[in-house]
This record gives sequence, C-alpha cells and structure tokens, in this order.
Amino acid sequence: MTRNRFLWILWALATVLIAGSALARLYIAGDRTVLLPGQTAGAHHQLEIACETCHTSAPFASAAKLRKDINKTCVTCHKEDLKAADDSHPLKKFTNPRMAAYWEKIDGRFCISCHAEHQPETTLPMMLTLQGDYCIACHSEGQQDIRKDRESHAELTFDTCAGSGCHNYHDNRALYEDFLVKHAGQPWLAETPVHPVEALARTRPAPDPAAIEAYLAGVSAADAARSETAAHDWAASAHAGADVGCAGCHAAGAETDAQIAAAWTDTPAETVCATCHKGEAKTFALGRHGTRRHPEIAEPRSAKSALKKLGWKKPPEALVSALDAYLTDPAPPAAMSVAEGRVPLKPEAHGETLTCSTCHAPHRQDLGFAAVGACVSCHDDDHSRAYEGSPHHLLWQAELAGDLPPGSGVTCATCHMPKTKSAKAITTNHNQNDTLRPNEKMIRPVCAECHGLGFAIDALADPALIANNFSGQPDRHVESIDWAVNRVEPPEQGTNQ
Amino acid sequence: MNAKTGKIKAAMLGAALTLGAAPQAMAEGMGYQTVSDLLHLVMNSDRTVYTRMIVNRLANEEGVIKASEHFIDDKALVLPAQMFRFGAEMVAEETDAFSYSLLSLWPINKQNAPATPLEEEGLTFVAENPGENFYGEEELGGTTYFTAVYADVAVAAACTSCHNDHKDSPRTDFEGGDVMGGVVIRIPIDG
Repeated sequence: MTRNRFLWILWALATVLIAGSALARLYIAGDRTVLLPGQTAGAHHQLEIACETCHTSAPFASAAKLRKDINKTCVTCHKEDLKAADDSHPLKKFTNPRMAAYWEKIDGRFCISCHAEHQPETTLPMMLTLQGDYCIACHSEGQQDIRKDRESHAELTFDTCAGSGCHNYHDNRALYEDFLVKHAGQPWLAETPVHPVEALARTRPAPDPAAIEAYLAGVSAADAARSETAAHDWAASAHAGADVGCAGCHAAGAETDAQIAAAWTDTPAETVCATCHKGEAKTFALGRHGTRRHPEIAEPRSAKSALKKLGWKKPPEALVSALDAYLTDPAPPAAMSVAEGRVPLKPEAHGETLTCSTCHAPHRQDLGFAAVGACVSCHDDDHSRAYEGSPHHLLWQAELAGDLPPGSGVTCATCHMPKTKSAKAITTNHNQNDTLRPNEKMIRPVCAECHGLGFAIDALADPALIANNFSGQPDRHVESIDWAVNRVEPPEQGTNQ
Repeated sequence: MNAKTGKIKAAMLGAALTLGAAPQAMAEGMGYQTVSDLLHLVMNSDRTVYTRMIVNRLANEEGVIKASEHFIDDKALVLPAQMFRFGAEMVAEETDAFSYSLLSLWPINKQNAPATPLEEEGLTFVAENPGENFYGEEELGGTTYFTAVYADVAVAAACTSCHNDHKDSPRTDFEGGDVMGGVVIRIPIDG
C-alpha cells in the first residue's frame, strides 16, 4: 500500500468516524443545541436543550400539522395565562371559516403567526415577530375600521394601539372600555394604601422566646445535625407552628427514631418542599425562574429507544451503556443557574442556581429576604438597582419598623409574585409572568390595591418611571380613560370588550 | 368519508337531543340541509330556553340578578348571545366538521357583522322573508362550504331592551318577534 493510499483511507475512516460521532451525539441522545437555527426568546432559552419539548410532530409531518402541533406546545405552558387573561383574541375565534379573509392577513389560528421563534433579529418585546402596527391588518377596513368607529381614534396611527398603554392583543382585563369608565376619576393613591392579602400574610405575631425553648426541648433530631441556630430559626417559623419537625423534611415519611436515623439527609431535595407547597411549586415551574421544572419538558432521550427507532431492535447493552455514558443528555436539565440567565444579573451571583432554598433559607423564615434581598442579590437592571430608596422601599422599611400597618410596604414580590387568597390558604404566585408583560397585567392584582386606575396606566406606560422604580410621578398621560368617559353616556351602559 | 361520518354523528346527536332520536334523523346519506336544520333546531331551542327561563325571568321579570357582558367582573349572568358564542367556540375546539356563528346586519360588536358576501345575502334574505331560511354554497380559505342562514328572532323582552339601549347598537327600534340577526351554519362539502 502506498503512503498516499493509506492516508486517503485513513482520512475517509476518520471522516466517517468523526461525522458518525457528531451525528450520534445529535441524533441519538446528545445535546442538540448546535442545531438551533437561532436563539429563542425570553425564558424559552431554558428549553433549548430539549427540542422535543416544543417540536412534537413526527418527522416529515405536513406544514399544517406542524403549525397545529406548535399551537399545542405553546398552550401546554401558556394555557393558564391565556385563560386568566380572558384572551381578547383567542385562537378559537379565528378557526371559523368566516374568518378566512383574515387568515391571509394575519393567521390568528396559529401562535407562530405573531410569535415566530428562533428569530432574535426580528423579535420585539412580548416575543412579537410582527411589526408593531400589526392591528392595521384587521382593524383598518370596512366595519372593523376603528378610525371610523371611534371619533377619538380618527387621527391615530396603528403603531400606537398596543404600545401606548391603551390595548393589548391578549390581555385587556384592566383596559377595556367599561372598566376604564368604572374606575375613572380615582385618586392616584388610596386613602389607606395597603395590599389586603399581603397584610393578611404579614400579620403574624413574633413567637415568644420562652415558648420556643419549651418547644425545642421536646423535639428530636439526628445528633450530627443538631444546630442551635437552625433549631431556633426553625422553632420561630411557620414550619414549627404547623408541626413540621426536623424529620418532616430531613427524613420525609420516617416516623420512629430508627427510621429517622436511617432516612436522614442533610440536604432535602426540592421535592420535599413541593410535597406541601404545591401551589408555589406549580407556579414556580410556570415562571421564569423555574421553567426547567415544567412537567411537560421533554424527557431525556434514551440511547436504546433511539437505536430502536433507527431499526436496531435489540442493541447490545454494552453499546447502550457506552452511548449513555458518552452522550450525557442534559434533559431533564438541572435548575437554571444565574450564569445562564439572559437578563442583567450580578457577576458575583453567577454561581447560584435557582432552587427553593436560593431565596428561602431552609430554617429561618425570612420573607423579607425572599421578597427583596434574594431578588436584588442577583438582578442588576436599572429597575432593581433603583428599588433601594424608592417610595415603595421606604414604605417597606416603615412597615418593618412597625411605623406602618402590615401590607403597607411594597417589596419586589408584592408586584412580581403577588399573593392570592383562596378559601383554604394564601398562596404566593411564583410565576412572575402573570404580572410581567405586558405590564398592564399588573394593574388589577397589584397596582389597583393602592393606586387609582388612571395613575397606574400612566405609570406603567412611562419607561423612565419604571426604570427609577416609581420614584416620582408619571411623565406621560394615556388618554384612554378620558376618551372612554367622553364616549360613554350614560356610563352605566355596557359596551364591547 | 370521515367528514361525512362526523356530520351524520352530529345529526344523530342533534336529533337525539331534540327529537328523542326520531327514526328519520338516523337515516344514512342525510343531506347537508337536513343536518344543518337539525343542528339549528338544537342551538335555537337551547338558547331560547336560556333566554326565556334564565335571563328574562331572573334579570328582567324578577330582578334578582343582572345579565352582563362582563359577567365575571359584574358577578352576573352570561348574556344569551355570549352563551351561544361560547358554545360555538367550544364546538370549534372539538371539530371542524361544522361551525356556526350568530351574526347580524345590526351588530353591537362589529366583529359579528357579515364578513362574506353570502353572509350579507343570507342575513338580508332572512330579515326580509320572515319564516324562511337561506341556503347557499361559498368557498372560503380553499374549501367549499354548505352555508345555511336562519333568522334570529327576538324571543323575549331581554333581547330587544338590551339591543335598543346599548350605546354601540346601530339599530334601536327592535320589537318582540323582529328578526334581529341570523345564525349561520357551515358544513364543509366533501371532495
């Protein structure tokens, strides 16, 4: 064999081997992020490691099937949001064939008509991949011509519909005409500005130290794990109040001392928290911090089933093990780390991951840290940095000092993780998306508890005021309430939402 | 054939609900018009019952609760037209074997004005010819549909009072028994 021939053969074999390895990594069970056609938007980057989470269609499915399947995927996570939003443009309104003429303008039957993914260059806020004046497609002609239907809108341009604080495509709960009229003329600040559910949650008497000592005397825990600080912190917490002792978390399910000793773990998993805090765990997985906890994220791809799909019905176990060892699939992934976040975050926080205990110290019940301290220890944007010293922060400090009643202070969590009260319990919504974007979603559950609707709409439409964390008054005025009041006579009549 | 089976099933369901499973509704090969007429019979009966026995009785006659478009915020009854549309949307989520809408030449919500030439023609026909239905065919989005339009008549005082008093209503002189709009049913035609 000549040297050249040998080198050619070597080159060919090496090429096949390397290409095969790469393909195996991509196809069989490995990380496919290299295949991403473009970065995803918003919190979706947390799903990039498992294509199957969104792309559920069989290979070579028709375009129509693909679009329908993607709809299902979107709704898997966003169903609750859209339901809560009383969606003004639900997909089901567009499926009727009478809407066919509109399908050619913007096909409202499919989420991706407005929210195409993997297109970072053309993605606007709210993950919009249309031009901001998209309302023109349907509301500028015939009976739907809003400029003719509303005198106040005659001179308006369509780029101001959704970006002005007046309308949203999906969520208009705080913006529809009758709501505006009903809440017109409210003062900017209520006489007693207190968030009622926060007030309930924060009204908890500090435990008596003697009672703590007496309580601790009757508690048993593994000797090695005994810590005076932890015990005191815990004894003053709601866990102790609810009789959730050391073993409740460190040896879940164990009852006798022997069982506790056998099952003891120093670092209980998040699932232990979720056993009781179901609502919090569920909403955490729906939110931006916990997207990777979402139950619908694709399961890890197994090398064995991938080989079977390729036609190898009984692959040798050794090969499967070898592939599994070589191709460590990142799904289901570890919790998102701060370093992976795509919003401004403090470099010194990059080592942090996002679990329950990141914000909630396991023994010490410190809602002040969970509601403010934890947030500002990572978030490094203008709004977060401006919180300290802002009017909302000063109220919170005054409440902590006992100068104002519970519920007066406004923390990060008051607005971004608002509490809700049901017949059974007060739950903290850990899904920040519920009040985040478009920011008018925050008006009803949060702002309106203390502020008038007009002020809230104006404030949320003022980017500078948001950036300085509401230190001052809005510098702009949204005229929606004025126009609605002028049009509605008498005001008690109903109108279209 | 699947679409046709779906239509027959729908007709059987409609017949079972309204006519106590009358034998003629079970017949194979039922025409689009018959299927559509039966579907309309169910729709119209249900909404009339809701309008007369729930909304008109409780909101207009006894005054114990009001009916409001913003029924959640106002803790009120759903309007009869909303009840009908919510049903239509639920059907749309389940099947594309047929679809239906409540439309009018004088809609409070402009979204419910005629959107196709056949809707305009049908709504005008049923308004001008009381007691008669309108049937036709139209092509929408590349599919041909059998389209039927049925007059929607004011069956209770609640219908006329709400429409006559509403600030967005383009017509305010409705009286009991007037044709206020129409129900449009569409069934895709095979092949």
